[in-house]
Amino acid sequence: MWALVAKEFRQMRRDRRTLAMMILMPLVMLVVFGYAASFDVTTIRTGVFGPRAEQATALVDEPFVVDEVDPTVVEDDARLRLRDGRLDVALVTSDDGAKALVDGSRLFKAQAALRGFTAARAALPALEVEVLFNPDLDTSVVLVPGLAGLILIFVGTLLTSLGVVRERQAGTLEQLAVMPFRGRDVFFGKIAPYLLVATLDLAVVLAAGILLFDVPFNGSPATLALGAALFLFVTLGVGVLISSVSENQGQAIQLALMTVLPQVLLSGIIFPLDSMAPGVRWLGYLLPLTYFNQIAQGVMVRGAPLSTLLTPTSVLAAMGVAVFGLAVLRFARELAPARIEENTT
Amino acid sequence: MRPLLETRQVTKRFGDLVAVDSVTLRVHPGEIVGLIGANGAGKTTLIRLILGLLPPTAGRIDLFGAPPRPEARARVGYVPQTTGSYLDLTVAENLRFVAAAFGTTPPVLDPELRAVADRPLGELPLGIRRKVAFAAAVCHHPDLLILDEPTSGVGPLGRVELWGAIGEVAARGAGVLVTTHHMEEAEQCDRIVLLSAGRVVADGTPAEVTGHVTAVEVSAPQWEPVFRRLREAGFRPLLAGSRLRVAGVDADEITRLAGPGADVRPTSPTLEEAFVALVSR
Amino acid sequence: MTWGLEQVKVTYRSVRALDGVDIPVEAGRVTVLVGGDGAGKSTAAKTLVGLVEPVSGRVRRPEKRQVGYQSEHSGVWFDLTVWENLRFVAQAYGIPQPDSRIDHLIEVTGLGSARHRLAGRLSGGMRQKLGVAMALLPQPRLLVLDEPTTGLDPVSRTDLWMLVAGAAAEGTAVLLTTTYTDEAERGSVVVALDQGRVLAAGTVEDLVSRVPGRIVQTDRPDALAYRWRRGSRWRGWLPDGHPPPEASVVPPDLADVLIVAALLRRADASAA
Repeated sequence: MWALVAKEFRQMRRDRRTLAMMILMPLVMLVVFGYAASFDVTTIRTGVFGPRAEQATALVDEPFVVDEVDPTVVEDDARLRLRDGRLDVALVTSDDGAKALVDGSRLFKAQAALRGFTAARAALPALEVEVLFNPDLDTSVVLVPGLAGLILIFVGTLLTSLGVVRERQAGTLEQLAVMPFRGRDVFFGKIAPYLLVATLDLAVVLAAGILLFDVPFNGSPATLALGAALFLFVTLGVGVLISSVSENQGQAIQLALMTVLPQVLLSGIIFPLDSMAPGVRWLGYLLPLTYFNQIAQGVMVRGAPLSTLLTPTSVLAAMGVAVFGLAVLRFARELAPARIEENTT
Repeated sequence: MRPLLETRQVTKRFGDLVAVDSVTLRVHPGEIVGLIGANGAGKTTLIRLILGLLPPTAGRIDLFGAPPRPEARARVGYVPQTTGSYLDLTVAENLRFVAAAFGTTPPVLDPELRAVADRPLGELPLGIRRKVAFAAAVCHHPDLLILDEPTSGVGPLGRVELWGAIGEVAARGAGVLVTTHHMEEAEQCDRIVLLSAGRVVADGTPAEVTGHVTAVEVSAPQWEPVFRRLREAGFRPLLAGSRLRVAGVDADEITRLAGPGADVRPTSPTLEEAFVALVSR
Repeated sequence: MTWGLEQVKVTYRSVRALDGVDIPVEAGRVTVLVGGDGAGKSTAAKTLVGLVEPVSGRVRRPEKRQVGYQSEHSGVWFDLTVWENLRFVAQAYGIPQPDSRIDHLIEVTGLGSARHRLAGRLSGGMRQKLGVAMALLPQPRLLVLDEPTTGLDPVSRTDLWMLVAGAAAEGTAVLLTTTYTDEAERGSVVVALDQGRVLAAGTVEDLVSRVPGRIVQTDRPDALAYRWRRGSRWRGWLPDGHPPPEASVVPPDLADVLIVAALLRRADASAA
């Protein structure tokens, strides 16, 4: 029996990757996700508008933080500011009272805001509250766009990397290399089906979300399609990159899961990004799902136009060019004749 | 002399599939018995039955005079086709582990293995890995050695060395049961048992087995047209340099098909040719 | 037409895999590359088809479209059927109206009953035959098969050699690698590789006639300096001098040729 135990330890020591996974990963995950896992709302970006804006500003207290004060702004303009994601709450005053507009697409902030209004009921008896975009503060309305992104990661990263690794392991990638194909033919031929499947998946998931969970679709489908296409390029590229560093399907699955888990927790789908500790939040800013989630939520729930989603769209585009370009390069190198270095006598 | 291993009319069915069909074979001390068969002929199933890893559907297996029991395994050395060694352990660690498992001391390494003793097996060529697996299987001086395809992927010299080692084990009085589908190895066995679709189709010394089959060798200025004619007539001509060989056939018919200018002469078939002729009958 | 490698050197991760080898591959002939694991056979095959670029030397091969290659892992798509695998290759090579040729190959490889079976569910032998059929489909001028018979049983091996000889009979230049000397004897030309160098090359008759000294067979190995087991008897090599009394001189076969060549190389290496 001792011989078995000794052998197992020896094997464990030799398999550095598994050892690292066993000891380091849980620690890293606990620290990162521990700092990320927070529903606490510390700031609610608030705009105060209407004729009595100046006076009302004095009443605004934590966690509301006044971002903008402008007596000339009318209710319709305030709604636009919420739609564009510039504010979380707008307080529109009038001569005989006030109306609070709350962005329902930011679930935790909206809930905190409503609690705040209840507390302030005494000071503002005539306050009328309207929750925009998601009047019932439905969780599924907020989650479905981000979940759609997660499903795209599954298809894009996991299935693509498995497809390429399987081909390499079976020795058929080598077969493709000797066939009369060009390197990029093989690359695009290999990933186009996954692109198509992922696109179909997205359509199905969104349709199901709209039909089953009453998720609204307020914005332009074209804007969402653009965001989704860019996001898909990134996830497929990550899949190809994972495949190029994995020796077998098991490793590819491990690596793909390692890219999925942080995106679940750190992309702002579940925990709001601005509730996270700064270091962890910056990790979130490196993840493509963060930006897809902003686009999908913005378009579907708030009906935000492309002009207000330029930042996440261009970040995704930049990531797409970088990741996809790297993936094409690595793949082409694998298909070209092995370059051999001359360094022996 | 009592056989170390005896199977009598052993049959193993998996559902409708008869993997092993009333096989009778014996291995005596000091004897090398080759179990020869195509893929799927039932060789590996038969080995698993002998090791007691599977119960037979019918028939009787006696290992050291009794049905296979776990305790009997201490007297058996077994090398599976996959070598059964750990690729992430070094040569020395693998051998130490096996020796500890059998409660014996690790074997003394020959110079070739000593040079690589501290390298993980996964980094070493298949020939070395097979050598290590063999050394591991014989370190407890088993009475019966069972080898499943011990030389696949090994070079000519390595193969000769391995067969030399197998011969030494037999010379010390152990019985050896070895599967292979390479006939040049089968010729090194004292007796061979040809298995096809689970059944024994021939049994005896290599000379006895090939003695039942005729073969011809065809020499022609151009082998290509002769090859095409024979193939179209349904024969299985095999290239041998610039000549052709056909086994299990009537020399006159081949002479007629080969045409004028071709020289057809009878020859003794190789074991492989005999096997193919016997199996396709 | 002769394709092949001329003075080719290949280095893999700073290890010399091929050290100046010449492997001519003649049209209408089967050239067999024989050697053990790590001898450089696969590297030579890959270099010939262009998967590996040599450090120096010359590689002669026809254009990509006229090269058929089967890698050592059979190179078939496990999740496609036999027919789909062949169909894909036909499309890749742009073969017009390939159906009749696909049918013909399925028939001569004996895969008719498995036409619509997934390649992953074929036996090893059937899968190798499918791999060869795929390599043959574009009617290549150069056919390179890397260990197509490893792990195959004698019946499948016979089938496979019929395919290979058939292709050579049609004028294809065939290079086939193997670890088995009895199989190598079937080749029109044999090239033996050992540690990245050519150990011996020529027709079997040539090689056998060029063995230095004599090969003997005996039951008493002790009298022989160089000896190896063959069945229940021993064989030995006498570089010079008379055979011991109990030993009889026998005609060498290819296995003897290669063993003697390897012994000579070992002696050279230890002398150096």
